[in-house]
Amino acid sequence: MADSSGTTLMDLITSDGSSSKPPSASSTTAPPPIDSAAMTAGPPVPMVVDKKSKKGTLMQIQSDTISAAKAAFNPVRANIMTQKQKKKPVSYAQLARSIHELAATSDQKSSQRQLVHHVFPKLAVYNSVDPSLAPSLLMLDQQCEDRTVLRYVYYYLARILSDSGSQGVSPGGGIPTPNWDALADIDAGGGVTRADVVPRVVERLTSESLNEDVEFHPRRLQALKALTYAPSSNSEILSKLYEIVFSILDKVGEPQKRKKGIFGNKGGDKEAGIKSLFQLATLTCFEKTPLDPGNPAFLHRAVQGVLFSDPVAVRHSLEILSELATKDPYAVAMALGKHAQPGGALQDVLHLNDVLARVALAKLCHTVSRARALDERPDVKSQFNSVLYQLLLDPSERVCFEAILCVLGKFDNSERTEERAAGWYRLSREILKLPDSPSVKDLTSEEKDTVQPKGKKDKSSKIRRPQPLIKLVMRRLESSFRSFSRPVLHAAARVVQEMGKSRAASFALGQYIDEGLEINAFSENNDSYDADVNPTAPSEGIRRVPSMSSGMGPKDTIASLLASLMEVVRTTVACECVYVRAMVIKALIWMQSPHESFDELESIIASELSDPSWPATLLNDILLTLHARFKATPDMAVTLLEIARIFATKVPGKIDADVLQLLWKTCLVGAGPDGKHTALEAVTIVLDLPPPQPGSILGLTSIDKVSASDPKSALALQRLVQAAVWFLGENANYAASEYAWESATPPGTALMMLDADKMVAAASSRNPTLAGALTRLQRCAFSGSWEIRIIAAQALTTMAIRSGEPYRLQIYEFLHTLAQGGVQSQFSDMHTSNGEDQGASGTGLGSLISPMLKVLDEMYSAQDELIKEMRNHDNAKKEWTDEELKKLYETHERLLNLVSLFCYVPRAKYLPLGPTRYLLFSTYALPFNVTKSISSIILFTIRDDNVYALLVPDLIYETTKTKSPEPDALDDDLVNFWASSLGDDGAPAMNRVNEFLAGAGTDAPDVEEENIISRPSMSYDDMWAKTLLETTEMEEYDARSSGSSSPDSIGSVETSISSHFGGMNYPSLFSSKPSTYGSSQPKEKQGGSRYSPYEGLGSPIREEPPPYSSPEHQRYESFENPLAGPGSNSYDERRPSSGAPQFGTALYDFTAGGDDELNLTAGEELEIEDEVDGWFYVKKKRPGRDGKMAGLVPVLYVSQS
Amino acid sequence: MLLAVLIANSEGNILVERFNGVPAEERLHWRSFLVKLGADNLRGVKNEELLVANHKSVYIVYTVLGDVSIFVVGKDEYDELACKCLIQLLLLYRPCNNNTMTVLLNALKDVCGKPPTERLFLDKYGKICLCLDEIVWKGLLENTDKDRIKRLIRLKPPTEF
Repeated sequence: MADSSGTTLMDLITSDGSSSKPPSASSTTAPPPIDSAAMTAGPPVPMVVDKKSKKGTLMQIQSDTISAAKAAFNPVRANIMTQKQKKKPVSYAQLARSIHELAATSDQKSSQRQLVHHVFPKLAVYNSVDPSLAPSLLMLDQQCEDRTVLRYVYYYLARILSDSGSQGVSPGGGIPTPNWDALADIDAGGGVTRADVVPRVVERLTSESLNEDVEFHPRRLQALKALTYAPSSNSEILSKLYEIVFSILDKVGEPQKRKKGIFGNKGGDKEAGIKSLFQLATLTCFEKTPLDPGNPAFLHRAVQGVLFSDPVAVRHSLEILSELATKDPYAVAMALGKHAQPGGALQDVLHLNDVLARVALAKLCHTVSRARALDERPDVKSQFNSVLYQLLLDPSERVCFEAILCVLGKFDNSERTEERAAGWYRLSREILKLPDSPSVKDLTSEEKDTVQPKGKKDKSSKIRRPQPLIKLVMRRLESSFRSFSRPVLHAAARVVQEMGKSRAASFALGQYIDEGLEINAFSENNDSYDADVNPTAPSEGIRRVPSMSSGMGPKDTIASLLASLMEVVRTTVACECVYVRAMVIKALIWMQSPHESFDELESIIASELSDPSWPATLLNDILLTLHARFKATPDMAVTLLEIARIFATKVPGKIDADVLQLLWKTCLVGAGPDGKHTALEAVTIVLDLPPPQPGSILGLTSIDKVSASDPKSALALQRLVQAAVWFLGENANYAASEYAWESATPPGTALMMLDADKMVAAASSRNPTLAGALTRLQRCAFSGSWEIRIIAAQALTTMAIRSGEPYRLQIYEFLHTLAQGGVQSQFSDMHTSNGEDQGASGTGLGSLISPMLKVLDEMYSAQDELIKEMRNHDNAKKEWTDEELKKLYETHERLLNLVSLFCYVPRAKYLPLGPTRYLLFSTYALPFNVTKSISSIILFTIRDDNVYALLVPDLIYETTKTKSPEPDALDDDLVNFWASSLGDDGAPAMNRVNEFLAGAGTDAPDVEEENIISRPSMSYDDMWAKTLLETTEMEEYDARSSGSSSPDSIGSVETSISSHFGGMNYPSLFSSKPSTYGSSQPKEKQGGSRYSPYEGLGSPIREEPPPYSSPEHQRYESFENPLAGPGSNSYDERRPSSGAPQFGTALYDFTAGGDDELNLTAGEELEIEDEVDGWFYVKKKRPGRDGKMAGLVPVLYVSQS
Repeated sequence: MLLAVLIANSEGNILVERFNGVPAEERLHWRSFLVKLGADNLRGVKNEELLVANHKSVYIVYTVLGDVSIFVVGKDEYDELACKCLIQLLLLYRPCNNNTMTVLLNALKDVCGKPPTERLFLDKYGKICLCLDEIVWKGLLENTDKDRIKRLIRLKPPTEF
């Protein structure tokens, strides 16, 4: 047994009751080891001769053990007694020996007493017994008359039979439990395995369970029960069990059918005994059967069981039925037939004094009434529906809540939005009409006895008015929230949460239910609707009068009911149990509607979080609830982000930065074009917070104050800030819709305004979101701890690379100063010293920044070079030669590769040389206009070998593409214009460029601007957001991996296209009308999803045939990691993987060693997402026992198929 | 499924445990988790006051009775209310009309005659095991009626006839 103090349970049990202290460990922990030599060497003394013949081996073993006992303890009798008197713990071996001895003398009263009072209870400590006891137990079973002894015997026989019993009995016999050191010794000596004894036990139990003697019935029950403990893998026992069960059912089932309404009906002895047996047999079926829906016998028996008088039997048959109903609702409904009608057997179950039976009834009714197969039988459905609704009145919360959940459409764990939405519709619209059946009176009298608060006050009144469900449910929940019992509170909050989910689903599907509508009014109006649904009871509604009995006046609206419910829910936050509070907060989050103010929720959460007793897991759970809530209602992004911010600031030490980032990310994407700025602000507010002041814990309730008073949470806050900085760097461009390659600012304007101040002013006026993010990052680069500064510098670089001018230049300048460190003194006021060395070179970031600066330097110098070249060409009025163009192209590629080391950019569209590059490529590609494919081959061969590897699939891709949409896609006029303007026109190209840059009126910019508007960037965002919304948390990894590799490969494809057909593609790239780019456009857009690690399970990517991971990307990986520093772990998670899903099977059981690992059961089918350092990231088809769907497992545990 | 029923003494020693469908290697976690939960929250809690916790989709209801604390862990259909019923049965409230934990507590009190001291509990150990055996059958709540359980323990037919 697991215990901490070193005393075993046996010590406790045998210790003196009067002494408060358990005996000291030294004297007790080691039971006297059994001398195995004595055991084997001892002369066999057969003490007992069983009447039945036994197997020789068993006999031998038994006598061996007994003789061993004799050898060990000379006074054989009463060894237990002596032990007891000395208050010494008894070892298992001693107990086992006593059983052997006492079994021999089981006819004596004294030995029976000793067995019952000393041996068996102490043996129970061991939870299972070793097989070598079985012969003695069987002997007792046969000979002993004492019922208590027999009961114990069945108990232990069952334990022998079960191989995966309560205490970790390992299958296959041998050593049963790890706790049994003593037993292991015996086994080593005697070696009795389960395989030896199980057949005998089964045989004995089978014969007992078939004994029809009336007096024997209780024993039959126990024998059968013990039999069910046999492992279900053993088909032999299983078939035997079936045989027994069906033979009993055949005898018992039929006479039962004649009797109906047998409540409290006491039959004769025999019948009652048989009834009980029937109950058990039913259960056995239920327990042991992999239910066979095709087998009519099961259904037949189960339906019979409903009529049965024993409540437990009814429960089991209902459970079987509801199980069967999930598979074949039609058959079940037909078989139940008239039982479901008013006054039928199912109505009787409503008053059955067995909670679980009523729960099973709720499930059954739900399954049947929702079954598609019964669509053409609305009468049957409505019968079951009406039973379900009546269960809402059940005095037991357990049943009532189950019924509410069923009405809400929460049946199992599969969340289907439509079903949920329909559930909310039902709840808010439908009306409970009580059938006029005599049994209702019983119900009322029964309910008066119960102490439970009743949800329905008019129950006892003479006139039963039909009640809107919502009203019943609300009142019931409200009264439950007044309960003092925490489980009830917890359950009620859970029900409210589910209600919120259904409501959200209903909103999401656009079902508008006017919550301001008066319930009674609309229930009147709704007669026609009801009549459709309930054709059997159309007249019921006529008696309806506006319900005054509720005391709530006639103005009940759904909204008012909800409001009053939520008021009660909110007060429940005062419960002292954090789990209840967590559930309440989740319920509040779910019930929060997007249009209402969330101030109250916010302040509740804020004050809750100040409570130090919240465990971290619970908080993260709530964060995930926010995430789920967001997915249900994307409109709430900003609200939810505000709430998440409270978590970030209040309890930084307890929440997982990854979970928070996930939430940020989803909300940012989901916030839509208008909300993006707000969303980003909400995230970055974390950065604006003043650093936690040690010692000042005042004003904890203020949301904007960081509370990180202890070092641990201060550290966690730091991590959080790092995460926020990284997040900002990765996503600012997205949030600001500012990309170098699709800039809203006319390209190149920045070159005209090199004055930094003006530039900043212009920039911030143009794009406040990005400017704000930049300012924050700049501050972080100065004032954080060094980890934060590093990440801030990286984030700035990312933004520099991705943003167009003037932001790039702005960042460049900033980084430059940062690297030089010359301005450090200037900022030293802002710099909160945390006592650490700031590093040798200025800000200490010099060495880190220099490679980043180098990239930018190269980009700028290459751009300068290009402009110089262009000027030269213009001046000399000479054509660009192929050589020159090739060189230019190579520079372009080199820069692209370089840039890719730092962050992701869509290679197809990214122009490190500046926008002017296009124009040259257009001329370059022009001569090849006719023979595109050939040119592509030539160009491919020029490129390095790695890229060459892409050639073949590319070509296929190319040819198919070029054949159809591509030629149309060419804006020939534009290309020709540029070509002519460069070559023939004679006008200096530089002028063109300048005009172009100045935004002056050549045709090209016009075209461009026009098309920028038509550019489907919104749909890009939408698409991105859509894919994101569809990902679940579980798919997070998946998304990361596919997001990292596949788009990249597409990027390369596109790059090759654009670079080799640059001229052709220029118009489409730069001014891309959606139509011109044809099919490749969405894919390329999809490529943008690489921006973040989280999103983009883009299905278009999946469909992409070549799942190669690009070599550039790998290089980027290897290069990035050393640079990434300690904080940017998110970088590390972008791992290359193959895009196509792989499948595999679990070879062995695997137990997760950490949160990100996944439990495996051998034989489970898995989808392999990703491989990382000898681990697969896999997804299961179904969630495992622990509810996890996906996680890491060792590669060796999985066989790939 | 009732994943676990666990009874511990005030020092956190586990007296009785019944796991269902919990792999052996996870049981250790459950033991320590539950014992810690009890140690954290059961101080000064009244007898039979039910406490609740949840871990993912698993519900835990626990309470203290005399010297022993009782934990019931359930999932799916055995939610917090079902667990509550079981405990209350052990506690011998009224005839269990709605909850699971009741069953356990009822039975405990019934067997021991009064709120059990640890000594009393241990003296009645065998009976308690039999009782549990009747109440929880392979992870499903079986018998909830006090008299029925009593009769079954004595190897009598479940109902009078």
